[in-house]
Amino acid sequence: MNNLLALPVVLPLLGSLLALVWPRRADWAGLGASVAAFVAAGHIGAEVMRNATLELAVGGWAPGLGIALRADGLSASLLLMSTLVALAAGLYATTYFAEAQKRADFWPLWLLMITALHALLLSGDLFNIYVTLELLGLAAVALAALGGSRAALQAAVRYLTVGLLGSLAFLTGVGLIYAGYGTLDMVMLAGRVDAEPATWVALALMTAGLLIKSALFPMHFWLPSAHANAPAPVSAALSALVVKAAFYLVLRLWLDVFDVALSQASAGLLGLLGASAVIWGSWQAYRAERLKLLAAYSTVAQIGYLFLFIPVLLATEPGEARDLLFGALVLFALTHGFSKSAFFLGAGVILHRAGHDRIAELGGTSRALPVTTFVLALAGIALIGLPPSGTFLAKWQLMTSAIAAGQWLWIPVIAIGTLLAGAYVFRVLGHAFGPGEGVGPSLAWARAELPALLLALVATAVLGLGAAQVWTMVVPGSNAEGVSL
Amino acid sequence: MNALLWMLLDLLLAAMLLGLGWAAVATRDLKRGVALFIAFGLLLALAWARLRAPDLALAEAAIGAGIAGALLLAALRSEPQGGQPAAVPSRVFLLTLNLFSVLLAVTVAWALLSALAMGDSVRLAQPVTEHLSQSGVSNPVTAVLLNFRAYDTLLELAVILSAVLGVLALGPARPGYRLPGPVLYGLIRWLVPLLIVTGGYLLWVGAHAPGGAFQAGATLAAAAVLLRLGGVDGAGLPAAVVSRWLLAAGLLAFLAVGLLVTAFGYGFVQYPPDLAAGLILVIESAATLSIAVALALAYIGGWPSRRAQSGSLHTHTTEGGTH
Amino acid sequence: MLSAEIIYGLTGVGLFTLGLRATLLQASLLARILAINVCGAGVFLMFVSIAYQGLAQMQVPDPVPHALVLTGIVVAVSATALALALGRRLRESKDE
Repeated sequence: MNNLLALPVVLPLLGSLLALVWPRRADWAGLGASVAAFVAAGHIGAEVMRNATLELAVGGWAPGLGIALRADGLSASLLLMSTLVALAAGLYATTYFAEAQKRADFWPLWLLMITALHALLLSGDLFNIYVTLELLGLAAVALAALGGSRAALQAAVRYLTVGLLGSLAFLTGVGLIYAGYGTLDMVMLAGRVDAEPATWVALALMTAGLLIKSALFPMHFWLPSAHANAPAPVSAALSALVVKAAFYLVLRLWLDVFDVALSQASAGLLGLLGASAVIWGSWQAYRAERLKLLAAYSTVAQIGYLFLFIPVLLATEPGEARDLLFGALVLFALTHGFSKSAFFLGAGVILHRAGHDRIAELGGTSRALPVTTFVLALAGIALIGLPPSGTFLAKWQLMTSAIAAGQWLWIPVIAIGTLLAGAYVFRVLGHAFGPGEGVGPSLAWARAELPALLLALVATAVLGLGAAQVWTMVVPGSNAEGVSL
Repeated sequence: MNALLWMLLDLLLAAMLLGLGWAAVATRDLKRGVALFIAFGLLLALAWARLRAPDLALAEAAIGAGIAGALLLAALRSEPQGGQPAAVPSRVFLLTLNLFSVLLAVTVAWALLSALAMGDSVRLAQPVTEHLSQSGVSNPVTAVLLNFRAYDTLLELAVILSAVLGVLALGPARPGYRLPGPVLYGLIRWLVPLLIVTGGYLLWVGAHAPGGAFQAGATLAAAAVLLRLGGVDGAGLPAAVVSRWLLAAGLLAFLAVGLLVTAFGYGFVQYPPDLAAGLILVIESAATLSIAVALALAYIGGWPSRRAQSGSLHTHTTEGGTH
Repeated sequence: MLSAEIIYGLTGVGLFTLGLRATLLQASLLARILAINVCGAGVFLMFVSIAYQGLAQMQVPDPVPHALVLTGIVVAVSATALALALGRRLRESKDE
C-alpha cells in the first residue's frame, strides 16, 4: 500500500518507454498501461474511502527533505476520472489515427501526458508540481501539434508560449515561498504560512500562472484554437483533464495551504472572472460554426463555473454545508470531464466521416451515426445541467449554497449560462436530427463510438444517479477544509 | 575593503546582466539578439560561479549558452533575412504594458526582500547537510538531485523526452551542412574525442565535485553538434532502433532501480544506504546517454536520414577538403 | 552595504520583468523564445540568491535551490527546442 501511490505515475511512464522502443506494439503498450493505471487508481480510491488520506515519502526521506505523494478524496476521485477518460480516449485513438506511424508518435507522448497528470494530482511538493506542470504542458503541446495543419501548429505555438509564461510565474511564487518559509512541502507549509505581504504576492503569482493554464477568462484566448485543431482524442484530454489539473491546483493552494492568507475580496475576484468566463464562453459557443470550436468554448464556460464555486465555498462556514458544496464541486468537475471528453470523441467520429465538423451541415447525422448522435445528446444533457446528470445536482447545490451565503450575484450568471448552454446544445442536436444527406456511409465502428458512449453514460447516468458515492469519497476525513484542523 | 570590492564587482556584473538581457530581447535584428543571448548565458554562468554554484555554472555554460545557443543559431539559418516587419503596438497598449511591468517589478522585488528577511536563512541546507553522509555521494547538489529529490529528476528526464519526441514527431531533420574545410576538420578531430572524455569525467566526478549527468550529457551532445557541423549528418548517433533505446535508457534505469528496491522491502526509489553510491552512478550513466542523444536529436531536428548515417568525417574530407 | 543576494535577487526580478514584457511585445517567435529564456534566467537568479543567503551560517550555499535551478535550466532548453521545432515547421508549411 505504501508504494501504491507511485503506480499511477510509474505505469504510464513505463508504457510510454515501451511504446518508444517497440513502436510496432505501441497500441498494446499504451492500452495495457492505461488499464493498469485505471486498476491502480481504483485501488487508491478504495483505500482513500477507508483511510481518508494516503501518503508516500518518496526515497524514504521525510517530507521537506524529500518529496511526498499524497492522495485524499479530491485527488483520488480526479485520478479515477483521469484514468477512465484516458483509457476511453486512448481506445478511440487506435481507430482515429489510421497510419501506424502516427500512432507510434502518439502513444509515447500521450502516456507522458498521462504520467504528468497523475504525478500532478498526487504531488505534495510545490517544486515537484512545477516539474509536472512543465511535463504536462510540453506533452500537451506536442500532442496538439500532431494535428499537423497550419492552424494546429499556430495554436500549439501559442499554447506553448503562454504556458511557459504561466509556469514561470508559478515558479517565481514558489521561490518566494521557499525564501520566506524554507519548505516546499505543502503540508509543512500549511502549518507555517502566515498572512504576510510576501505570501500574498507569492500566492498571486502562483494563481496567475495557474489561471493562465486553466484558461480562466481573460486568460482563455489560447484555448479555443488549441483544443479545436488538435486531434479529437487529444482535444478530449486537453479539455477534460489538462485544464482541470490547473484548477485542481488552485483549489489545493487556496483551500488547503494558503487559507489563512485569503480574503473574501480575492475570492470574489476569482468569482467575477469565473462569471465572465461563463457568459463569454457560453455566448461564443452559441455562435460557433464548428463542433469542436463549440466544445472548446463550452470548456471555457464550464471552467468558469468551477471558479464560481470558490467564493461561495469560502463564504460558507466550515461544516456540513461546506462539505456538501465541496462534494458538489468535485461532482461538477468529474461530470464535465466525462461529458466533454465524450463530446469531443463524438465530434471526432463525425469529423472522420464527413471530413468536416460544420454544425450547419450536420443534417442527417442522426440517421447515419445514431450512436454518436446519442452520445452528443447525452453529453449535451450533462453540459447543460439537466437531470439526471451530475451537473444538475452540482449546479443546484451551488445555487442553494450561494443563496445561503448571501452571494446573490452568481445566480443570474448560472441561469444565463445554463440557458445559453441549452441553446447551443439544442442547436447542434437540431441540425443533427434534421434532414440531410447524412454524414457519410452509415457503418458504425464499435471501437470508435463505444468509448464515447461509455463516457457519456458515466457523465449523465452514473454520476447523476450514483452521486452519493462522490460525497462518500470526498467528504469524510477529506483534508479539503484545511489541514490545520 | 574586500567586501566593498566584491560589492562593486557584483554591481558591475548585475548591470551587465541587465544590459545584455535587455539588449538581447529588445533588438529587432534576430542574429544580433541570438549572439547577445549567448553572451548573456556565459555571463550568467559567471554569476553562478560568483554565487558559489559551480554545478550551475557548468550547466549554464554547457546547456544554457551552449546547446541552447546551438539550437537558436540553427533556427536562424532558416529565418527570413532582414528580420520580421514588426507590428507596431498601439501607444495605449505600450503604456499599459510599461506601467504593469514597473508595478510587477516593484511588487515582486518588495516581496523578495521581505521574504529574504523572514525566518532563518539556512532553510533546507540543514537537513541536507545532516543526511549527506547517508546519500552515497558527497556533492550536496548531486545528493539532492539523485537521492533526496530523485523523483523530480525522474520527471525531468521525462520532460526532456517529451520535448524530443515532440520535435521528432513534427517532421524530418533539418538539412545538413556541407563538407568541412581543413581548419574545421582539424578542430573536430581533436575536439570530439576530447569532449567525449570530458563528458565521461564530468559524469564520474559529479559524485564528489561539481558535475553530474546533465553537464556530462550536454558535453556529449556538444560533440554530436560538432560532428553535424562537420558534415556528418548522423552526428555520430547510432541507428534509429538503438537511439530509441538510448533515449529510454535513463528513465528505464531510474525505474528499474526505483522499483527493484521495493522488492527488497525499501520504498520507491529508496536506495539501500551501502548501495546508494553505485546505484546513483548507474542511473547517472544511463541518464547521461539519454540526455546526450536527446539533445543531439533536438539539434538535428528529427531522425537523421538513413543514408546520412553511414557517413563519417573521413570520407567527407577525402572527397572535399584540401587537407 | 548591499549583500550579494540582494543585488543578484533584484537583478533577477529585473530580468524576469524585462523578459515578460518583451514576450508580450515581440512579434517573431524566435524573439519571444529569447525573451522567455531571459525571463527564466531572472527566476533562476532569484533562487540562487536565496541559496547564497545561507552561506554565512552554513559555510556552503543551500544546495536545494541549486538543484531546482539545474532542473529549471534543463526544462528551459527542452521547451526552447520544442518551440523552435514548431516554428520551423510553421515556416515550412507556409512555403508549401
